[in-house]
Amino acid sequence: MSAQPAYLLEAKALCLAHGKTAVIDALNLTLPPGRVTAIVGPNGCGKSTLLAGLARLHSPNEGAVCLDGVDIQHLSARDLAQRLALLPQEASAPEGLTVADLVRFGRQPHQGWLRQWSVEDRHAVAEALSSAGLDELADRPLEALSGGQRQRAWIAMTIAQQTPLLLLDEPTSALDLGHQLEVFELIRSLAGRGRTIGVVLHDLASACRYADHLVAMRDGCIVAQGAPADVVTEALVAELYGVACTLLHDPSTGAPILTGLRRLP
Amino acid sequence: MDVWTLWGRTSTAGEEAQCLSAPSGYWQFSIGAVSVLIERRGLWVSGLLLSVLLLASLGYLALGTETLSLAALWPALQGNGDPFSVFIVQELRLPRLAAAWWTGAAFAVAGCLMQTLARNRLATPGIIGIDNGATAFAVASVVGLGVSLAPPAMALIGSATAASITFGLASGNDTRGYRFIVAGIGIGAVFGAVTQLLLSQVDIDSANAAYPWTVGTLNARSLGAVNLLFAGLLLGLPAAIALGRSLSGMRFSDAVAAGMGIPLKHRRIQVLTLAVLLTALAVAVAGPVGMVGLIGPEIARSLSSPRGVPLVASALAGALVMVLADLVGRLLLAPVELPVGIVTALVGGPWLLCILLRPSRS
Repeated sequence: MSAQPAYLLEAKALCLAHGKTAVIDALNLTLPPGRVTAIVGPNGCGKSTLLAGLARLHSPNEGAVCLDGVDIQHLSARDLAQRLALLPQEASAPEGLTVADLVRFGRQPHQGWLRQWSVEDRHAVAEALSSAGLDELADRPLEALSGGQRQRAWIAMTIAQQTPLLLLDEPTSALDLGHQLEVFELIRSLAGRGRTIGVVLHDLASACRYADHLVAMRDGCIVAQGAPADVVTEALVAELYGVACTLLHDPSTGAPILTGLRRLP
Repeated sequence: MDVWTLWGRTSTAGEEAQCLSAPSGYWQFSIGAVSVLIERRGLWVSGLLLSVLLLASLGYLALGTETLSLAALWPALQGNGDPFSVFIVQELRLPRLAAAWWTGAAFAVAGCLMQTLARNRLATPGIIGIDNGATAFAVASVVGLGVSLAPPAMALIGSATAASITFGLASGNDTRGYRFIVAGIGIGAVFGAVTQLLLSQVDIDSANAAYPWTVGTLNARSLGAVNLLFAGLLLGLPAAIALGRSLSGMRFSDAVAAGMGIPLKHRRIQVLTLAVLLTALAVAVAGPVGMVGLIGPEIARSLSSPRGVPLVASALAGALVMVLADLVGRLLLAPVELPVGIVTALVGGPWLLCILLRPSRS
């Protein structure tokens, strides 16, 4: 994978609404290039809607999402898909596909009727399969995989898309601890190879552990952002979730750890 | 040296031959920068369906109230031999066979398109009311109501009307799921009632003339409508195949499909337009034989691999179902003819039950 030049994804005074209900209000955000940005916040804070807006699944009522200064509304579907890949929360595939079939679909934005399979496609698929640790499982049907394996297959599909930007909506929400680690380690390794990653997480603890940049949201606004160690405080946890806690720091990484959680009255 | 090379082993210097090999299950044809994948299973399935279709067609031409031996059929096909056989084959059975092919293919491709669009196997033009819309309008024309357009033209307008209302009612974010089908069933019921109302208000002769439009038959076709349908297929089938790559991605959830770079809004309108056009042109020939739109794609899908959307196989399977159903309709109570729409409904009803009751493929 060639290290791409910085593809800067920015929300500028972005307003998103579901019908008449405003969800995101005049939000400004820049995803730091080559880093993992975690968007956290309580249920209903608008974090998934924000991600959908960043990926153009949700068009803004006001403001814009810009990719290198260009409003993404002005990009063609294919142009956008060559720069930005998205793994939505409820991803569903046709029945009977194998892992390799699924990963090949990630190449769609790079293919056309007269260019259905190229050397680049082959490399991209092989690389995506191996970086997601799926070489052995390539010919298995998706239905025969465990939850963690299936989630890795979906991520492999977005890897095969070879976009400098990758957005993931709660990629670990349905997974047990071991499988969560699999996915987080994969995400870290992708960032290590120069990709800009935005990931919505509901679990603050994993966000602290795996993100370089933390964006804390509440009621459609960003209440704090920065490195997890700098941003996460007892006051922030109380503000976001209405939970009191004691904050410790991981002796090896310095990442904040929450203990002694209790609900605030 | 540019040659069509099997397995993508190109002789172009500097190319990494081993890296070009096609994904398993595909044949790759490369010439220069152009590279096309052919799915092997799809090719076999289409070949198989085509062979069976040709066999069934031979039977269709030979069998009937007047049965011809193969020895008599061959010269008759070429226009020489016994004049009576020539007449039966060239004037009666061959045109009707062609109508069966084109309508079956059109219904099945339209069904396959709609099922893919709605991501639901029940969302065929017949079930979501497009047929009924066409029938109501055609019947209105036959019984001399409203605009003085020919029934086939009215069928076209009726299909478009029913499809637009359904899409309008189910619009918003969910134009493909449950709402869409429910709205379509409702619209279909309304148009069905309109048809019945029209028939009940006219004299028996007009009602008789409108009868073929309510059941579906290949007996009352107009040559103009068949030619129009053939032209529609010549354009529509390649158009559907050209949409095939997008269609294949549209089977994923919307966000995933959009993420693949598929312009969903445009594609939906294109797919729907194509499905409505094909249905309307086919209804204009044969009336509402919409069950073929359910059975054809279902046969095609059960034979094909899940990697793509089996458009060609659907067309062939649809034609096959139509040929067999019409043949059965002609033979079963001979010399009385059973309309093909009744045969497909008799077969399609139980089929529908099977689909509803069968656990999904794992």
